[in-house]
Amino acid sequence: MSASNGAPANIDLSVDIGGVTLTNPTIAASGCYNRGAEFGRVVDISAYGAITLKSVTREPRLGNAMPRIALTPAGMLNAIGLEGPGIDYFVAHEAPKLSSVPTVVIASAAGFTVGEFVDVASAIDGLPGVAAIELDVSCPNVDSEGECFAVDPRTTDAVVAAVKRRVKLPVIAKLTPNVADIRPIARAAEEAGADAISLVNSLRAMAIDVERARPTLANGTGGLTGPAIRPVAVYQVWESAQTVRIPIIGMGGIETGRDALELMMAGASAVAIGTANFRDPLVAAHVRDAIAEEARRRGFASVRALTGLANPGFAGKRWPADRRPQRLGVSR
Amino acid sequence: MASDAPLLETATLISREQVAPGFWCLGFRSPRIARAAGSASYVAVDVPGVFSVRLPLGIWTTRDDEFSLLFREWGDRTRRLARLSVGSGVSCIGPLGNHFSIPVKGSTALIAAGGIGIVPFWLLTRELRAAGVNVRAIVGARTKAHLNGVAQLREAGADVTVCTDDGSEGDKAMVLDLVKRVHAANVIYGCGPLGMLRALCAHASENRIQCEISMEETFGCSMGTCWGCVVPVRRGSQQGSGYPPSPRDSRTYDFARVCVDGTVFPASDVLWLEAYA
Repeated sequence: MSASNGAPANIDLSVDIGGVTLTNPTIAASGCYNRGAEFGRVVDISAYGAITLKSVTREPRLGNAMPRIALTPAGMLNAIGLEGPGIDYFVAHEAPKLSSVPTVVIASAAGFTVGEFVDVASAIDGLPGVAAIELDVSCPNVDSEGECFAVDPRTTDAVVAAVKRRVKLPVIAKLTPNVADIRPIARAAEEAGADAISLVNSLRAMAIDVERARPTLANGTGGLTGPAIRPVAVYQVWESAQTVRIPIIGMGGIETGRDALELMMAGASAVAIGTANFRDPLVAAHVRDAIAEEARRRGFASVRALTGLANPGFAGKRWPADRRPQRLGVSR
Repeated sequence: MASDAPLLETATLISREQVAPGFWCLGFRSPRIARAAGSASYVAVDVPGVFSVRLPLGIWTTRDDEFSLLFREWGDRTRRLARLSVGSGVSCIGPLGNHFSIPVKGSTALIAAGGIGIVPFWLLTRELRAAGVNVRAIVGARTKAHLNGVAQLREAGADVTVCTDDGSEGDKAMVLDLVKRVHAANVIYGCGPLGMLRALCAHASENRIQCEISMEETFGCSMGTCWGCVVPVRRGSQQGSGYPPSPRDSRTYDFARVCVDGTVFPASDVLWLEAYA
């Protein structure tokens, strides 16, 4: 699929995320693609290098009351509340269908205690058709007054380290942007053994229904996604890329190839696309082709050479052979 | 779920009419979607311009390679859509959603439409008439200017009675008041404001009349992936998620996604929680 659908020929589109090879750097973001089947009714989802499944929790969850969605300028707010069948049902009824997904599948585990993360990730580990596990450490921690695991390096470490001790699959820690400084969190994830990090999750935000004089979302607050949050994502990927050497999956408001290139040049090895699927189901192919075209235009043999290109402090450990790193003298 | 997979097609805007202040009827040429549409089908429209998720709009009429959308201007996306010039190409996914069920030949169907809730009923009326079903329709709106599409519904073969809240057209009455006067209906179909639908479902239940309603929520993906547009349904409903009960949650219902499990639900499956109030 790589060079066949209009992507420039002879550019190596593949990227490596924690030992998992993707045919191209685009990934469907968790929560926007469910288990892959729905968008597969309309488009060829193999345009994606990987899809990330909607997060699974240990117990079934009914999720939040409605309204769960509010439209905002250049984005949207959601508060779904992790509605889902729980891990047992997922393993019995949904996982068997994953082998037919025509691209790499990353499962997503969510939990409200360290133990829940471990239980879910352990159950996912070894499922046929699952190549990696993303940990939604942006979940509220019930042992810590509902504060997100990923707002504190210690709780981030606790989740990632506990899961890493128990699973063989590569582990990706998905970080929240709702922090004053992303760098200690990213470092904690790396030091706990994460094979990659992904960021940013949605920004906590709110809208008020002025007619009814109450929050638009039944949950009150929600997660803001879409192009509105892209500059936040670029900045936090930039900061993280100066801090960790593990691959970064950059996401947050990617709508076009240019948006994806911003995140790659800030330091992302791959990019995840979420809300933009809700406008353009073909977005992955467009973004993939634009990334390849940019690599070609710059005379790179591989799209990997784009990672960190704009970021002089980029700490990524593997400088591609096809590119001379040029440090511009900005220390990290 | 719709039996056939929805299609991604660029529709060409071929006509644009402001049928009343704030109400628009746009005609599109879109052969594959137009020919596949059925009652309660909708399209998810990519409104050109600054980013927004697709706008779901019910298909009003179809003819050969064309479909029309009748909608009220109520936000940024509908405002922008209404101002596109004829000849514009607009990316649509459709037809999406399930359909109303059709009763046996010779029965009498009663349509209850509130305001812009008339939209799913042109196609339904055609399907009902083609199946030899008698169609009565009560169409109500706040005021005369909000009462759109009645002539087309009559042309499609419905025996239409209209009412308005202010008496500016037809009876000064609520849709439900007139629905209650019709005793011959074997099945009721509803679409409109939640308050009207809730009362309609209660009426159908009290009188043991089969009833289906087409619902609305704020959609995210329009494809069934994001679980943003759910409504609560009775546990065991065919359209609910069917997920195991949540052990830490006292709520004993299921959620169904309006976008792919609906938009049509049997009235007996829909739960009216206080969140709707």
